[in-house]
Amino acid sequence: MMTSLLRALLLATLLVAPTIAHAQFGPPELIEAAKQEGKLVFYSANVAESEQPVIEAFNKRFPFIKVEFLRAPGNQLIQRVKTEAAAGKLLADVVDHSDRALMLEIADLFQDYAPPNAADYIPETRASPKLWPRSTVVWAIAYNSELVKDPPKSWADLTKPEYGDKQIGQVIAPSGGTTWTRAMFERQVLGEDYWKKQAATKPLLFPSNAPTSDALVRGEISIAPLLYNAIFPKLRDGAPVKVFFAPEGAPVTPFAAGITKTAAHPNAAKLFMNWCLSEEGQAFMIKEIGNLTSLKKAPLYPEGFDPKVVKVWVPNYDQFVKLQHDWIEEWNKTYGYRQ
Amino acid sequence: MRALAGWLWSAALLLILSFLVLYPVAMLLLGALTNTNPVVDGFGVYDISLKNFIAVLGNPNVLLALANSLIVCGGGTLLAVAIGLTFSWVVVRTDTPCKRFIAAASLIPLFVPPLVAAVAWSILASPKTGLLNTLLASIGITWRFNAYSMFGLIVIFGIYYAPYVYMFTASALRNMDPALEEAAEISGATPIKTLFTVTFPLIAPAIISGMLLSFVVMLGIYGIPAVLGTPADIPVLTTYIFKLTNWSPPLYSTAASVAIILMIVTGFLVFLQQRVVSGRSYITVAGKAFRPGVMRLGPWRWFTLALAVVYLVVVVVLPTLALIVAGFRKFLFIRSIASLFDMKQYSLIHFERLFDNPLALRSIVNTMEVGCITAVVGGIFAFAIGYTVNRTKARGRRGIDIISTIPVAIPGLVVGVAYLWAWIGLPGGLYGTIWILALAFIARFMPDTIKALSTSMLQIHRELEEAAWICGKSLLGTIRTIVLPLARPGVIAAMTLLFILAIRELGSSLFLYTSNTMVMAVLLLDYYEGGNVGITAAFSLVQTVLLAVLIGIAHLLSRGRTDSSSVGRAG
Repeated sequence: MMTSLLRALLLATLLVAPTIAHAQFGPPELIEAAKQEGKLVFYSANVAESEQPVIEAFNKRFPFIKVEFLRAPGNQLIQRVKTEAAAGKLLADVVDHSDRALMLEIADLFQDYAPPNAADYIPETRASPKLWPRSTVVWAIAYNSELVKDPPKSWADLTKPEYGDKQIGQVIAPSGGTTWTRAMFERQVLGEDYWKKQAATKPLLFPSNAPTSDALVRGEISIAPLLYNAIFPKLRDGAPVKVFFAPEGAPVTPFAAGITKTAAHPNAAKLFMNWCLSEEGQAFMIKEIGNLTSLKKAPLYPEGFDPKVVKVWVPNYDQFVKLQHDWIEEWNKTYGYRQ
Repeated sequence: MRALAGWLWSAALLLILSFLVLYPVAMLLLGALTNTNPVVDGFGVYDISLKNFIAVLGNPNVLLALANSLIVCGGGTLLAVAIGLTFSWVVVRTDTPCKRFIAAASLIPLFVPPLVAAVAWSILASPKTGLLNTLLASIGITWRFNAYSMFGLIVIFGIYYAPYVYMFTASALRNMDPALEEAAEISGATPIKTLFTVTFPLIAPAIISGMLLSFVVMLGIYGIPAVLGTPADIPVLTTYIFKLTNWSPPLYSTAASVAIILMIVTGFLVFLQQRVVSGRSYITVAGKAFRPGVMRLGPWRWFTLALAVVYLVVVVVLPTLALIVAGFRKFLFIRSIASLFDMKQYSLIHFERLFDNPLALRSIVNTMEVGCITAVVGGIFAFAIGYTVNRTKARGRRGIDIISTIPVAIPGLVVGVAYLWAWIGLPGGLYGTIWILALAFIARFMPDTIKALSTSMLQIHRELEEAAWICGKSLLGTIRTIVLPLARPGVIAAMTLLFILAIRELGSSLFLYTSNTMVMAVLLLDYYEGGNVGITAAFSLVQTVLLAVLIGIAHLLSRGRTDSSSVGRAG
């Protein structure tokens, strides 16, 4: 009796599942309108290797929407958006960027938007009511396990002379919103003199996370603080690297993503954002590309990330905007990074 | 009537040039002097001052980047001249065996995109993990190659830009009247003395043109110093400019000011070259038949052949092997030579991922389209300008000459910004199409194309055209029946050059591509910046194969239409 009831229930669930499953991403009208539009243009500061799987997963759900993807490094992306918008030729429907300060400067270009599960998000992680933390990334420390026999165990260890002479790779603080978060964390949590002590080990400086992770795998450097999502694909494929979240804390940067006012494909854009911000979308990004999430209740965590042990560190967002210029200048001086 | 037509013709050329060159340069100057983005901030906000420019001149980092650029490109140019001149002499004037092979080998580096060459050499000669160094370590040698150094940059620049010198000098040597050399030999000069006192001075304009062009092209290259200079902390002007445009907020005005410094340096060089060329007559193709003599090298001809083989190994074989290892290997961590041959480490995964990305195929198609448009439209336009400037007395031809030379001095990265600012606001849908890319390439490479054409045009004696006029041919008829057939190898070579330059071009594409008009060079940089050397190498291999096929086709086409003596040029 019980089994047949269960079976009937299960069958019923299976039958209605697709509709329910789609409903969480938006009403049928939206999905139909998105289908009519058939495509959307998506600008992101994330590398293609991270965004491509997300787009593919979205297309598994909604195969009828072609996502045209354009990637440009942080500041170039903002300049492109500004210039296109000024000329009345903004092609992007959706923009996702790591630096909320830069996105706030152009917040006027974005339309009011909220996903169906808006209430599930930590309010402070939203840069503005229009901009949502579609991607949330976290810093870890990685090392080449073939080269490092006595690995560091904390952020503090990265100041030890034994890891000196270009063994450590550092992504420059002015690289973007994520590196600025890390630099802020280092100074506010690890101590005013952390930069100075770390710079004294003569790390090799890199322009962004991606080439740093590659250099680590190749053995050009042995140790590097890295965004977990930058090293994750290589870790998954079996590269000779190990990654850990240090006990002092794990700096986290929520991105800012929005739908433009001038979007030529507003419905497809909305559906795409709804899916990315949904639990399914966020869970995919955590599991497959190594992100975290800004949902109040995370659906899961990346491998090796124990929420009971790792202390997540989020910046004070007022300071994030206000301190940026002066502190970055100081960072550049401390690390001898040429201006 | 004829005067009016000539006047209209000059006016039309000037109008097109203004659109392609003057207008974007004006936007660039405006950006440099006002510290604004003219598109975003509007044209009304004029606060023109020299402050930016003076501040840039006093900035020690700019001066360091400038000094590094001059050292790297200067050293690279000297090496390029040594290599290019040697091979052109070997191919044209000696009895070295396998000359066709050497001629082809001398041009191949031209087809290698700088970013690809740099990535390959970082895989080969990184001081810590380079394959060559792993090899040295395995046989117990402690000395190491170091591509991440000033010397490494000079060598890589020198070997990859030698073809520019080769192209100019080979055709000049081939078309040279041997009478003077014969006179020198009759007077008792040794062959080597004749070479240095008669032959090379006679082709001085070709050497200087090749030198100038290779120097200027090196100044504008981003890929090589970005990959090999950055790890050693050697900033050059292009990497510095890229950094400035990537800043938050981007310092476009500073970047534009740095670009103006570059323009001044190159402008001065162009002026020097014209001074050298203008005072003398370099006509070596006249209405008389002759055949330059060939030097018998005896056993030394095997040495010259060996030189060519070594060159080919260094510029093509080793880098290709490096790319094959990186493209097929799952990870590029190679502990020892033994692990290099561990077949378990190899797979097709990078190629699968590359073609999973729909942009890869799209970028290939887009690149081919842009390349064809640029080569055909740009080739015709450059011929029109080259002929007007060199062979007619049309009004304003001096102005046309100067304006068409300006783009040589603007580095690609900045050209991209200038074109974006200039053209995005125009009514009509230029932005977002591949035409904006093609127009930018036509403008950017106009000086290279015109120079390549002019050299072959300068060598055709006017008496041939005059003969046609006397026979009653019109100007257009003369061009069609005399100039074009004689200059055809040069025109085809120039169009081939333009096609290759266009499909390799990265700097100016960076600001002009959109999601729909992605080109190969930009996608390759994306993969490189995306930190996946495996996919980068895989894509580089795909591009290399594509280029090899295209060049093979161009080679066959040009062989079918011209006599074998021009293979070296069109090759």
